[in-house]
Amino acid sequence: MRPYRYPARSRSARGEHRQRRCPLPCGLFAPVRQLPVIRVLSQPRGACYPYPPMTDPTLIRNFSIIAHIDHGKSTLADRVLQLTHTVADRDMQEQLLDSMDIERERGITIKAQAVRVMYDADDGKTYQLNLIDTPGHVDFTYEVSRSLAACEGVILVVDAAQGVEAQTVANAQMAMNAHLEIIPLINKIDLPAADPERVRHEIEEGLAIPADEAVLASGKTGEGVRDALEAVVRLVPHPIGDPEAPLKALIFDSYFDAYRGVVALIRVVDGSVSKGLKVKMMATSTVTDVEEVGVRRPANIPVDALGVGEVGYLITGLKDPSLVKVGDTITLARNGATEQLPGYREAKPMVFTGLFPIDGDQYPDLRDALERLQLNDPALIWEPESSHALGFGFRVGFLGLLHMEVVKERLEREFGLDLLATAPSVEYHAYRTKGDMVVVHSPQDMPDPGHLDHVEEPYLKATVLVPPDYVGAVMELADQRRGVFRDMQYLSATTVELHYEMPLSELIMDFFDQLKSRTKGYASLDYEYIGYRQSDLVKLDILLAGKPVDALSFVVHKDKAYARGKMLTEKLREIIPRQMFEVPIQAAIGAKIISRETVRAMRKDVIAKCYGGDISRKRKLLEKQKAGKKRMKSVGSVDIPQEAFMAILKVDD
Amino acid sequence: MGDLAEGFVVPWNDTRVALPRHLYVHVPLCRSKCAYCDFYSEVDTGAPEHAAIVGHTVELLRGWLTPQVRWSPLETLYIGGGTPTVLGPHLVGLVRALTDVIPLASDAEVTIEANPESFSPKLAAALAAEGVTRASVGVQSLDDDALVRLGRCHDSAAARSAIRAAADAGLAVSVDLICGIPGVSAEAWERSLRGVVEAGATHVSVYPLTVEPNTPLARAIAIGEASMPDEDATVDSMNAAARILGSLGFGRYEVANYAMPGRRSRHNIAYWTGKPYMAVGGGAHGMVDGEQAHALGLAPDDRTDVGRIRFAYASHLLPGDQLQPLSSIETMTVAEAAREDAMLGMRMTDGISDALAEGANVIEALESLVTDGLVEHTDGRWRPTERGWLFGNEVFSRIWGVVE
Repeated sequence: MRPYRYPARSRSARGEHRQRRCPLPCGLFAPVRQLPVIRVLSQPRGACYPYPPMTDPTLIRNFSIIAHIDHGKSTLADRVLQLTHTVADRDMQEQLLDSMDIERERGITIKAQAVRVMYDADDGKTYQLNLIDTPGHVDFTYEVSRSLAACEGVILVVDAAQGVEAQTVANAQMAMNAHLEIIPLINKIDLPAADPERVRHEIEEGLAIPADEAVLASGKTGEGVRDALEAVVRLVPHPIGDPEAPLKALIFDSYFDAYRGVVALIRVVDGSVSKGLKVKMMATSTVTDVEEVGVRRPANIPVDALGVGEVGYLITGLKDPSLVKVGDTITLARNGATEQLPGYREAKPMVFTGLFPIDGDQYPDLRDALERLQLNDPALIWEPESSHALGFGFRVGFLGLLHMEVVKERLEREFGLDLLATAPSVEYHAYRTKGDMVVVHSPQDMPDPGHLDHVEEPYLKATVLVPPDYVGAVMELADQRRGVFRDMQYLSATTVELHYEMPLSELIMDFFDQLKSRTKGYASLDYEYIGYRQSDLVKLDILLAGKPVDALSFVVHKDKAYARGKMLTEKLREIIPRQMFEVPIQAAIGAKIISRETVRAMRKDVIAKCYGGDISRKRKLLEKQKAGKKRMKSVGSVDIPQEAFMAILKVDD
Repeated sequence: MGDLAEGFVVPWNDTRVALPRHLYVHVPLCRSKCAYCDFYSEVDTGAPEHAAIVGHTVELLRGWLTPQVRWSPLETLYIGGGTPTVLGPHLVGLVRALTDVIPLASDAEVTIEANPESFSPKLAAALAAEGVTRASVGVQSLDDDALVRLGRCHDSAAARSAIRAAADAGLAVSVDLICGIPGVSAEAWERSLRGVVEAGATHVSVYPLTVEPNTPLARAIAIGEASMPDEDATVDSMNAAARILGSLGFGRYEVANYAMPGRRSRHNIAYWTGKPYMAVGGGAHGMVDGEQAHALGLAPDDRTDVGRIRFAYASHLLPGDQLQPLSSIETMTVAEAAREDAMLGMRMTDGISDALAEGANVIEALESLVTDGLVEHTDGRWRPTERGWLFGNEVFSRIWGVVE
């Protein structure tokens, strides 16, 4: 193979024309480390520019690292970047691929990432490895499946102490369904509690994956990381595609850049893509010019073209992120492919909550903020909602609870908003007697019982992995949450897998926290949606001082309405502070009151002692008191603390 | 009263700014700390310290007199603490030394705070002879068990004796009582109220027990060794105090204060009516109006809207420390000062006048309070109602809230 020649159009700062080999091992030619590295703005030290277009696919390996949360996926990815000199040691920071603050703080991955590393393998060849980092949470299952579709193999990371957990199983199943090569890796072997033999056994028994050659590694010490990369080179199949066929590239993620517009992360399946081409997004029939293609190391490095099997980014210049959908196929605008890559579907929000600004003046700011967030998070949807109690806000749909928490936190942190969230609900399908169906995202929108024929709610299949000692506790909780037991199997002597079908509405009611606390943190959970089922549901209203507070209404199964109503009124009695007047709290179904509690009137509130030295101090105390009241929502004459609106989540059966 | 007090004539061409007519002197010593108290005081170490404190206090007072200001004869002088009576004979010396520096108006009210364990008929008589007119005795309760729980270092007999001693010396006697102490029955509370009046009190202050952070009481409650005051019991005892003291000829004139006719505390009324007051002593707070603040160099020269400035002495200020460490703690504009006057005025039964309310721009807040039954508006004055007493914080914060 001929050495790649640097194109003549580039000029150095000194204005000399240079023609030079890439100074780093790019797989196509020998490393020449002695040559000075050509520095490019925003390019990490040690990277090379530009890339040779279109590597031989046999030297490409596309893989992903999948793991249960906290099993060390991101640390392992960091080590891969270090080992391959993709990032200089001094530029290294923890969880390098997780660029959002929230990702780093919570130790989670929300956005997919792709990074190209060059690896000098033991066989003497240099391989192009594309590591696709996927979100690790069940909320983002669809996103994960698309990321996996861009790979030929995965490293399945299992914590050497924790062993196989629910998301390990779920992730492994997704990888199997995608027919990917699975390389088991037992991580954190440096931990005192590490028990690789047990974990190896769990992987074989529970996942039916041969693990006698599982890689033993420690992301912390770096041990075994090279073994993992060798396994990738050896075991993961190289991409196969038709370089002569019309372009087919899978979009596995996208983000919005304020200067460049929508940037898609893509994996080329057939053909090739280069700057200046006119391409089409098949699902949305959007045609656009390719402004730039490149690879991420992890900074964007432009290349001339991306060929079969290669992973990189594509700058579309589009300003509307909804036109570039995860899972869609990019092809040529003219004489393009006729068939989309399989597996595309629209992201569908499953959990809904009302978001209201505490200060009504922030309503326009909240709308702007949601619009801005949506640029990078097309799964986020919303519609305006108004509440008598809370004023104007939005009913926002999320992929799941984590997605909801992350979005709320980003809205508050990145946009300085003070938000009140109502208890989450699901999308109910209410069938009216006249035969039509109403989609209900907010309990307020539930049709009047008189016009209601029946209601359907989303169900899911929940998988819980737990040590045998806690099976009873899990069954009890699942029972209380209307779970229908399906089956149970021993994955190993220490792990039992239980399957339930249960309503999503029960799962979003603090189920995970309950599960964790009842199993001393041992249980892990995964779930998938299985469709809508009819349920006997009623809307429960809460009245404060005789007036219904719409934002406190919720939908509940008829059999549980009395118990939930009673517990919620009791909970609210604890949460709502004593006020100057007595506040009755009632739960009602329609006109029927099912439970009642009373917040007794406060009898005094006065600073009795106020002399010369006290005046400014006492006045500040009053100001503090007042500020505290301001953080509450006044509904009629009743001051309601924010936590009251989430109280339903804390109701313990 | 006024500038023509005996021996105090202001020449017609004197352009110096007159200093406040009220003075608070803080004696930061106590025999021991009470369980509930979060005021600044040090534990008393004996006579040499007493002499030093007297000298130091007088020096601090002299420090007020700069070339731009002159004394006004004092209408009220209040020596509080701490426990001023732990100074014993030196307290008499302190009163004399202070009044040597600054003249008293002819009908001045001169109050000393006294605690039963350090107050004797002899000291009472000596103080009266030196010009003291009033004693405020810290009794808190006549229930001996309660006194132990509060960490007081005296019993109820000592408290009664102290009241009698002061009354016998011809002093007007005020007594502090704490209501809502857990474990004190309604009957015991009534006995305390009647007991202090029988012993000779003509002024009673009633404070609900408040658990201040970082006090021994707060710690005892946190570990379950003491119980929180019960709100219902506290309210009942506040109402009982109004009823019982009323039947004994006392009238309420402020949230926490009751007096026989003519026995209201003029010094404290000065606080609630926005009168400037000087202060000396470690931890003491004072307040001056805009003109005085400029003359004393406490306000920036380029500010023309200063209504009042509050200042404090460092709380650890003891003999040997620097003499003029006034630190300004807050500066209020004229408008803010007016609103504060309105707020403080509503602590008193007399309430505030239409003119004051209008000047302070608080009519709207007052009207909302009338709607809620916390304030009444009659004969050109705004006054708190019975309910307004119990929900004073609502009244005060709505009036003050106008400032935002």
